[in-house]
Amino acid sequence: MTLILEAAVLGVLTGGVYALMASGLTLIFGVMRIINVGHGALVILGAYLSFVLWRNMGVDPFVSLIVTMPVMFILGVILQIVFVRPLKTDREALSVLVTYALALGIEGLLGYFFTSNYVQITAWYDTASFPVGDFHITYVYVYGFLLCLAILGAIFLMLYRTTFGAAIRATMLNRTAAQLVGIDVDRVSAVTFGIGMATAAAGGVVFGITNAFNPGSHYDLISRLLTIIVLGGLGSLRGAVIAALVMLVIQDITAVVISPVWAAFVFFVVLVAVLLFRPQGLFGITVRDRV
Amino acid sequence: MKRATNTRVLTAGGLVLLVGLALALPAIAPDSATTNIAVFTMMYVGLATAWNIMGGYTGYISLGHAGFFGFGSYALGLLLARLAIAGGYTVFLFVPVAGLLTALLAAAVGWFALRTRAATFVIVTIAFMFMLQLLAENLTSLTGGGAGLGFPNPRWRGDFYNIPFYYAMLALALLALVVSWSIRRSKFGLGLLAIRDDEDKALAVGVPAGAFKLTAFIVSAALVGMIGGVYGYYVTYIYPQFVVDPLIGISMVLMVFLGGLGTVWGPVLGALILEPAQLWLAYNYGASRLYLVLYSAVFLLVILLMPQGILPSLGELIARRRARLAGTVGAAP
Amino acid sequence: MRRALIATVAGAGLALTACGAGTATATPTPGAPITIGVSVSLTGDFSSDGPALEKGYDLWAEDVNKKGGLLGHQVTMKYVDDTSSTQQVVTNYQNLISSEKVALVFGPYSSLLTKPAATVVDRLGYAFPEPAGGAPSVFALGLHSLFFVQPAAIEDNLVSYTNWVLSLPADQRPKTVAYATEDDPFTQPQIDKAKKLLEAAGIQTVSYKVYPAETTDFTPLALKVASSHADAVILGTQVPDAIAFVKTFISQHYNPKTIIETAGPDQGSQYSDKLGANTEGIMVPAGWTSGSQAYGNPTFVAEYIAKYGGTAADMSADSAEAYSVGQVVEQAATKANSIDNQKLIDTLHTGTYQTVQGPMGWDSVGKPQGGVGVFVEQWQNGSAVFVYPPSVAAAQPEYPKHDWQ
Repeated sequence: MTLILEAAVLGVLTGGVYALMASGLTLIFGVMRIINVGHGALVILGAYLSFVLWRNMGVDPFVSLIVTMPVMFILGVILQIVFVRPLKTDREALSVLVTYALALGIEGLLGYFFTSNYVQITAWYDTASFPVGDFHITYVYVYGFLLCLAILGAIFLMLYRTTFGAAIRATMLNRTAAQLVGIDVDRVSAVTFGIGMATAAAGGVVFGITNAFNPGSHYDLISRLLTIIVLGGLGSLRGAVIAALVMLVIQDITAVVISPVWAAFVFFVVLVAVLLFRPQGLFGITVRDRV
Repeated sequence: MKRATNTRVLTAGGLVLLVGLALALPAIAPDSATTNIAVFTMMYVGLATAWNIMGGYTGYISLGHAGFFGFGSYALGLLLARLAIAGGYTVFLFVPVAGLLTALLAAAVGWFALRTRAATFVIVTIAFMFMLQLLAENLTSLTGGGAGLGFPNPRWRGDFYNIPFYYAMLALALLALVVSWSIRRSKFGLGLLAIRDDEDKALAVGVPAGAFKLTAFIVSAALVGMIGGVYGYYVTYIYPQFVVDPLIGISMVLMVFLGGLGTVWGPVLGALILEPAQLWLAYNYGASRLYLVLYSAVFLLVILLMPQGILPSLGELIARRRARLAGTVGAAP
Repeated sequence: MRRALIATVAGAGLALTACGAGTATATPTPGAPITIGVSVSLTGDFSSDGPALEKGYDLWAEDVNKKGGLLGHQVTMKYVDDTSSTQQVVTNYQNLISSEKVALVFGPYSSLLTKPAATVVDRLGYAFPEPAGGAPSVFALGLHSLFFVQPAAIEDNLVSYTNWVLSLPADQRPKTVAYATEDDPFTQPQIDKAKKLLEAAGIQTVSYKVYPAETTDFTPLALKVASSHADAVILGTQVPDAIAFVKTFISQHYNPKTIIETAGPDQGSQYSDKLGANTEGIMVPAGWTSGSQAYGNPTFVAEYIAKYGGTAADMSADSAEAYSVGQVVEQAATKANSIDNQKLIDTLHTGTYQTVQGPMGWDSVGKPQGGVGVFVEQWQNGSAVFVYPPSVAAAQPEYPKHDWQ
């Protein structure tokens, strides 16, 4: 029983990190209707950036976010303008190919500079833990969760309390109509992509502390992230967060109770089950011609 | 009238030349290095053509086709193991069975997946692919899990080994082309294209969209499954992560886009260009680790400069030139 | 339609010109330099081991050239990336042999890739000495041209360890053991064999979990093992999970009396710089350790450090395994007085060969025999040393393991 509880707690804490990474992904979809399959690679890129700052200058990984998040944001804006904006027709299909190509390119560059050796960011809080009842919770998970709450909170605030946030929401709802009322959808798109990248940087830091990673680590990440955003409803931020928490808890409990072998499988089974009854995901909107 | 006959003669002649070349290849270049590239290239010609039947004609982009490829591979391998078939030519007779089994799987997957549209469909196909990969990895008593599944060894020697496989892949590629071409010319194909343009309108005019989409999906998957079977037999050992491999899935998509989505010959051209290029790049540049960067650069250039694909872009270029020529002869603007 | 056809014919022509035609191979003329081809995993799943293999091969090539070459032929190594994929490894060996006509080939990384590569190399008539494919399924291929250059078949890697556990006095011996392993042809057979041996001796299994090699988050698995409170922990891991498990044990304040991991702790700095002082007491099966006195090893270690820097503790066993491949080929070539592949195959099947991993020989399907097996290595004070069996031990085994820091 303790084990299940422990797994559930772990699921919630790691779910927060996945929620952060997935939030960027779903926002990008909502605004630009593109599936960024390179998101996993961007998380890894963020992890490497923090790794470099930590290894060469001794900067604490969470502190390094002050640098990596803005850098990734700007990089995101540039990538969007150069590679995504030119796509005029067949957006969804081509965007998958473009973002996949970007992911490969990033993997190649990272491999060139860092080789394929596994690296990991270490800090005192990746093994230090505090006891809760019968088990221990490692500090890094708590810090990561708090980080996610902070960033997600900031994003929610921006979306619902600022004019720019309203512009984003309008673009997500109906791009053409948004243009008609004078919103610069191109700018909105670029900034949203930048925000997505910045959240990837944050997710990357926690990922980089809790996992050994190398340039090839992005494949496993992206399959989970995509599943999460579909489950939550493409474009729904709330959905992504809840889906991430639910999925990680179910996965972690399955891993300890039944078998780790089926834990990953359960991920997709839940997706299939939900989509059978709600093809638009938990919080997705059923728009006439798009799901 | 004369021009039409000329066109038909040229087209027929071109076809004969192409198929002739393909048939004669092992005689022209019999060394195993070349025939190996030929086997993989022909494999992708078939894969791209098959994928195009679904993705190109209906507009439903499946990124999970690697799942069917892997399933076909495992289906054939398990069949051979259960029936204790020894290596040799008889193995090829079982390939259609693998195709049939894949078709059944596609029917089930398709029934579910096609309830969704557009982006959700894409991600659902990805999810199914990973589910198949996980099943292959975890049903160890059936598939061998991470240790892989072995195929019987035909014990052909030296350079000869690749040749039967080349012809098997060629046969499947030709089958895919014939199927693709006949669909394109049929009412069924018309219905598919209508679905691609506007599904709701197509439904409104009476196109049985559900049935049509499912059929295209099944046909496409069955072909891919058969090719997967021959692939497994060729490389002699298959593993879940290498045969249900997202890279295979995305490669066939890229080839179709490069050549021209929805055209009959576009996928062929895309495969003929990309597969030898990919193998060559990996061989020569992998060691310097820049292989991935180069590949991704090629990828991006293709997509950004020629989003329609080569054939339609060429077509447009020629049409524009013709229009310009006609314009200079005709009335002034 | 016509346009499409023309373009496709052109494309076919392009594809053809990209390849070359070739003829049968020929034996190199005396004194001429030769190329040895190897497919290494420089990108993809196995890419963290590829570079270590390269270093070992390069060092051997340098050494043999200094001595006048392989039977008088100066050696150049040619590496190609197999992107850790079946398709590419099959292509690579066909290119190397049929197109580039290298004189010899060495094997790639992992049993996974060795199996398809071995059938290719075998049908093209080349010898296939390989450093990293030792799973039972590799030998099940029944190939006469294959040689697994390690002291023992992978499956038996943990036998030394189980021997040690059972050699402990009954009151000190661990009573319970927890197992966790990747479902990988390298790790799982070892764990299963160890489990069989220990269960037969009455040591109770309190947990046994097999997990997919593709797992990214090992924490729930490690929690399960930690919560079992087993005296002994036996893990079938590669580098990333080896590290992840230990980190969770540390944070959960779970210190088993003994812990052994099938791979990870033998990879030198890739492992130790993530765990620092907490490598203390962790064991790993190893045929090679930087301190061993086996044939040519002290020289090998010294040269490696001179060429690549770092310390002996930073070296990965993969490099020693690659170097051994070169050594056996060198000795076989001298014995047969030829570098013809068929002659090498015949020669390698007889007698014993000396390598930095100790002596070894092979049976008719390439399985190692006559070697002294794989030993138990343990991290003590920042470096890994043999601790069992006593005949090779450089230090006493530390048991029970010191607590985490």
